[in-house]
Amino acid sequence: MNSLTVYLFVALLIFCIGMFGLLQRRSLIGMIISIELMLNAAAINFMAFNRFLAPDPSVGQIMVLFIMGIAAAEAAIALSLILALFRKLRSINIEHARDLKG
Amino acid sequence: MNPAAPSDFVLWLTLAVMWLPFISFLVIFFITRTRLALSLAVSVSCASISLLAAWYLLLGLPATHPPVEFKLLWMAGAEARISYGFLLDPLSRLMLCIVASISFLVQVYSLGYMAGDEGMAKYYSFLSLFAWSMISLVVAPGLLQLYVFWELVGLSSYLLIGFWHHKFSASEAGKKAFVMTRLGDLGFFLGIIVLLLHLGDLSILKLNAQAAAQLSAGLVTASAVLIFMGVVGKSAQFPLLTWLPDAMEGPTPVSALLHSATMVAAGVYLVSRLFPFYAASPDALAVVLAIGTITMLLSSTMAMVARDIKQVWAFSTVSQLGFMLMGLGAGSYFAGVFHLTTHASFKALLFLCSGVFIHHFGSNDMYEIAKNGGRRLKVPMITITIAGAALAGVFPAAGFFSKESIMGALAELPNPGWLAAGLAGAAMTAYYTFRLLFIVWFPRKIETPQHQENGHGDHAAHSSFGYWAMGVPLIILAGFALVLGFFGDWLLNFIHWGRPPEFFHHVWLAPVSLLLVGCGIGLAWLEFGRRKAAQAGFLSRLPRVEALFANRWYMDAFYRRMVDYVVYGFFSRLFTLNDRRVVDGGVDGVCRATVGGGWLLSFLQSGLLQYNLFTMVLIIALVGLYFLVMH
Amino acid sequence: MQPVMAQYIRPEVVAYAVFFLVLLLTLGGALVAVIPKSIIHNVFGLATSLVGVAGLFIFLGSEFLAMMEILIYVGAICIAIVFAIMLSQPMHLQIPPRWRPKVAFSFVVSLVVFISFTVMVVRTPWEQAVRTSNDWGVKRLGTLLLTRYELLFELISLVLLVAIIGAVITAATASGEKTSESQGGEEGGA
Repeated sequence: MNSLTVYLFVALLIFCIGMFGLLQRRSLIGMIISIELMLNAAAINFMAFNRFLAPDPSVGQIMVLFIMGIAAAEAAIALSLILALFRKLRSINIEHARDLKG
Repeated sequence: MNPAAPSDFVLWLTLAVMWLPFISFLVIFFITRTRLALSLAVSVSCASISLLAAWYLLLGLPATHPPVEFKLLWMAGAEARISYGFLLDPLSRLMLCIVASISFLVQVYSLGYMAGDEGMAKYYSFLSLFAWSMISLVVAPGLLQLYVFWELVGLSSYLLIGFWHHKFSASEAGKKAFVMTRLGDLGFFLGIIVLLLHLGDLSILKLNAQAAAQLSAGLVTASAVLIFMGVVGKSAQFPLLTWLPDAMEGPTPVSALLHSATMVAAGVYLVSRLFPFYAASPDALAVVLAIGTITMLLSSTMAMVARDIKQVWAFSTVSQLGFMLMGLGAGSYFAGVFHLTTHASFKALLFLCSGVFIHHFGSNDMYEIAKNGGRRLKVPMITITIAGAALAGVFPAAGFFSKESIMGALAELPNPGWLAAGLAGAAMTAYYTFRLLFIVWFPRKIETPQHQENGHGDHAAHSSFGYWAMGVPLIILAGFALVLGFFGDWLLNFIHWGRPPEFFHHVWLAPVSLLLVGCGIGLAWLEFGRRKAAQAGFLSRLPRVEALFANRWYMDAFYRRMVDYVVYGFFSRLFTLNDRRVVDGGVDGVCRATVGGGWLLSFLQSGLLQYNLFTMVLIIALVGLYFLVMH
Repeated sequence: MQPVMAQYIRPEVVAYAVFFLVLLLTLGGALVAVIPKSIIHNVFGLATSLVGVAGLFIFLGSEFLAMMEILIYVGAICIAIVFAIMLSQPMHLQIPPRWRPKVAFSFVVSLVVFISFTVMVVRTPWEQAVRTSNDWGVKRLGTLLLTRYELLFELISLVLLVAIIGAVITAATASGEKTSESQGGEEGGA
C-alpha cells in the first residue's frame, strides 16, 4: 500500500489487460474501452511517481489532468469515427475495415 | 655454432645467383616474350652469370670458409620469427653449383632442341623460373622458405611437364605430377607445423644443431617422418613413384633438368640438408632406408622391361634416388650427397643424349631408334655410352665411386639384407643400362636412314648450330661423368665441415660389386649384344613377371582403382548428395522460407489494424527486453 | 461496538482492507471491460475499473484527481460510449465471433510485454528525489496551471475544442455521405 512497486505493478496489469483487449477485440467500441484502460494505467503510473519520487507533488497531478483531457478528446473523436464507420460499413467489426489492404 | 654474416662480396654474389633467373623470368614473361632472340639472350646470359657466380662460390671461397647466413625478417610472431635469406655452407654451395650448371647446360642444349617451337620464349621463361625456385630452395636458411620454393619447384615443373599442353597426355602427366607431389607435401607441411609449434624457429642450422636436444625423441621421429613424406612425393619414392615416368611427356631437356638437379633432387637434398636432424632419430633413418630400398628394387625391375628410352631413364632415376636415400638412411651423409652429385651429371647427360635421338628420329622407342640408325650420331652415341657406364657403375666413371661409397655405408649396417639389396640393385642397373645401349648399338637390321619429318623443328636440328648447341653440353657433361668420381675425397673433406667424415672402405666390396655389374653387363650382352642374340630379355619368357614389371607393379592401376572407388565412388557421391540435399535443398529452402515469410508478412498488409498493432507492440516489448537483459 | 471487534478495526487494517477492495474493483473491472462479449457489460466494467482507479488516486494522495477521474471518465467518457452504443442501435447486437488463434496470440504478446515491463520495474533502482514542495492542495495546482503550465493548459483546451468540432463534423459528414452511399450499398447487397 505504501510501496511504489505495488502501484507500478497494478498499473502494469491494467495496461496489459488493456493491450490484450486492444489486440483481441473485434468490436471497435471494445477497442476504445481498452484504450481508456491503458490511458488510466499511464495515469496511475504518473500519480505513483508523483507520490513516491517526484520533488514537487503538483506536477504529476497536472500531468494526469492533461491525460484526462487528451482522453476526453480522443474518446470524442474516436466515437464519432466509429459512428461514421458504422454508417459506412453497417458494422463495427474492425476486420471489415480493411480498405488499407495492400 | 653461430654462422657468420657474409661479406659484402659474397652477399651480392649469392643474391645474383639467386635472383638473376627470376629477373630473367620476369623480363621474358612480361616484356620480351614476343621477341625470341632477345628472350633467349636474356635467359642464357642470366643463366651464365648465375653459373659463374655459383662456381666462384664453390671454388673461389676457401674450402674452410665457415657457413654464412644472411637473414631478413620476413614475419615475426610472438613465438616465431621467420626470415628470408640464404645459408651458404658446403652442402648448399655444392648443390648451388650443380643446379646452376645443369640449368645452364640445359638452356644451351634447348637452343637446339626447342628451335622452331612456337612457345620457345615462354619455355625459357619457365626454365628460368624453375632455376630460380630450385636455387632459392637450395640456399634457404629456414624450412618455411624452403617449403615455399619447394612448392614453386613443383609449380614450375608442372608448367614444364605440361608444356606441350595441347597434347592430352602431357597435360595429364603435368597434373599427375602436381597432384601426387602435393600428397607428399601435405605431410611436409604438417611436419613444419609440428616443428614450428614446438621449436618456434625453423632455421635449418638451429634445427640440425639443437632440435634433438630440445624435442622428445618421439617428436623428432614424427616430424622427421612427416617431412620425409614430402621427400617421398618430390623424389618419387615408393608409394608415390609413378608420376615421374609419366613426367616424360615434357620436352626432353626438361626431363634432364627435372631428373638430375632440380625437382627430384630437391627431395634428397632436403634429407641431406636436415641430415643431422634425421640422424638424431634412428627410427626416421630406418624409414628412409626402407623406403629407399623398396623404391630402388621396384623401379629397377620396371626399367628392365621398358621400351621407351626416356622411361628407362626415368625408372633408373627413381632407383638412383632410392640409392641416395639408402646411403643417407644408412647413416652416411657423404655417400648420399656424392651420389647426388655424380648422378646429376650422368643422368642429365643420359637424358640430353636421348633427347638428340628423339629429336632426330621423332620416336621414343629404342628399337625404332636403333633401326633408324641411331649409332650414326657419333657424339650422342659416345656420350650416352659414357653416361651409361657411369650409371651402371663401371670402374673409371663417376657412378662407380659414388655407388661404392653407398655400398660401403650399407655394409656397415648389422643386417646384411640391405647390402644384398643394394648389390642386386647395382646388378639390375647394369643390366637395364646395357640392354638399352646394346639395343641401340647393335640394331638387328638397319634401314636406310629416312628423314622423318614428324619431329618438331626437325629442320632446325639439322643445322650445325642446332647440332652443336646440343652436342657441346653433352661433351661437357661427359667430361664430368668421367672425372667426377675422382673428386670423392675432395668432396668428402669439403662437405664435412667441422665434423669427422664417416666414410667406409671395404676392400672386398669393390671387386664384388664390379663382378655383379659385370654379370649384369654380361647378361645384357648375351641377350642383346651378341650377333645372334634375339634382343629379347629373359623376362619375355616369364610373361606374367614381365607384365607385372611393365605395368609398374600395377601401382597405377591400384591408384586408378583407388581414385575410382574412393574419389568417384565415395566422395563424388557425397558431393552429389551434398549438391542435391544441401545446395539444391538449401536454395529450395530459401525459396520456401521467402514465400513463407512473404505469407507471414502479408498479414501486415491485410489492412487489419490489429495485426499492425501486434507487430508494433511485440517489437517494442522485445527491444525493451533486450536492453533490460543486456544491461 | 464490542471491544473485541474494536481491536481489529484499527485504522491501518481498515486502510488495507479498503486498498484491497479498490484493487479488486480496478483489476476486476478491467477484466470485465475486456473479456465479456457484450459491449454493455464492457462499459460497466470500465466504469467500475475507473472508480477503482479513482480510489487509487485517493491512496496516492490526491482527492482532487480522484474526483476529476470520476467526473471525466465515469461521468463523461463512459456516458459518451454508452451514447454511441445507443445511437448506433444495432451495433451492440452484432457480436462478432472470436477467432481463437488471434486471442491466443494477443495473450502471448501481452504476456511478453508484461514480462519485459515487470523486469524493468523490478530491476530499476528507484530513487526518491529531494522534495522541493509538499503542497498537495488544489490551490497550488490552479496557480501552476495558470502560470507555469499556462501554455499547456491553453493547448489542451484547444485540442479539446478541435476534437469536439472534429467529432461533430466527422459524424455529421459521415451521416450525410451515408444516405447516398449506404443506399447504393444496400442495393448492391440486395
